[in-house]
Amino acid sequence: MADVRTLLAAVLGLLLGTVCLVAPDAVVRVQFAGRRPPGRGGEYGTDAVSDRWRHLIRLLGVGFVVAGGYFGYVALG
Amino acid sequence: MRHLGLKARMAVVGSILFAFYAVAAVVVMGVFDWPLALVLLASVAFVGVQYKIGKWMALRSVGAEDLPEERAPDLHRRVESLARDMGIDKPRLMIASMGVPNAFAVGRKGAGTVVVSEELLRTLDDSEVAGVLAHELAHIRNRDVVMMVLGQGVASIVAIVAQWAVLLTGDNDIADFFLAIVVGQLTQMLVMLFVFAISRYREYVADGDAADAIGTGEPLARALEKISRGAEGRESQMDAQAAALCIFDDRGGLANLLSTHPPVEKRIERLRR
Repeated sequence: MADVRTLLAAVLGLLLGTVCLVAPDAVVRVQFAGRRPPGRGGEYGTDAVSDRWRHLIRLLGVGFVVAGGYFGYVALG
Repeated sequence: MRHLGLKARMAVVGSILFAFYAVAAVVVMGVFDWPLALVLLASVAFVGVQYKIGKWMALRSVGAEDLPEERAPDLHRRVESLARDMGIDKPRLMIASMGVPNAFAVGRKGAGTVVVSEELLRTLDDSEVAGVLAHELAHIRNRDVVMMVLGQGVASIVAIVAQWAVLLTGDNDIADFFLAIVVGQLTQMLVMLFVFAISRYREYVADGDAADAIGTGEPLARALEKISRGAEGRESQMDAQAAALCIFDDRGGLANLLSTHPPVEKRIERLRR
């Protein structure tokens, strides 16, 4: 029988990875809000983020998806 | 009564944030056997350090420098006059080269700082700059910066407690460490959804206050329009490359829910009503 926690790690890992890939700006904003000034990498009146951070979060997203897939394979395989 | 809508929304979001915090505090008291006083003290220290470091980092990250009165006497006079009209102390005025037109406020009422970029001063005329300054002063008067730090503080505390709860209830294998990281991140996102909802509303309130302070919303609307038109021009040159990398438009559902600012078009529309 599949280990519930490993299966949960797989499902939530894939979920977080997908969020990082689909909405990297949102992930950066969650980390930076209240810690860094808004609009860095963007203009006044926006909360855009720089391309550097966007790429980094997408890279992390790939990592979460790969790790989630691995734990899914371990749990169900 | 001033900002009744904001107060009502703050009561709802504040209660939700308090509920998250209360659950986290109870978990810490139960698992680590900490007395309530210690939990409260540690929380205040955590948020206090975040506030101090956040302010320092915000100014440092853009290389902000003091803007001497001799260099920009008109700007100083304008800030002083707006601050007086809005009933707050004149904030420290700083300048930075950010590569784009931008401005932001840090600190609190009585110890606020407003940073403007050189690009903003070059792009906008005097009345538009006044609109932007009034908006930033409104953020200081309405304690928006402090609210955001507090919200982020609660989100971080809840996320850390959620991570530890996963770690302490597992076998400490690699899947547990991964699960702890993921649960922490997702928990922080969940709490920040509520913080961002109130932050977007606070932007509208600051716009309204800026319009009241200078007598009209038109200069700030023009400033936002001018800046967003400039941004569109730059983005259209990059679109072909960027579109290849984007799977979805990042202003979709989730991205909108996790935004600190409402869409610029909506702000302009409200300012002109």
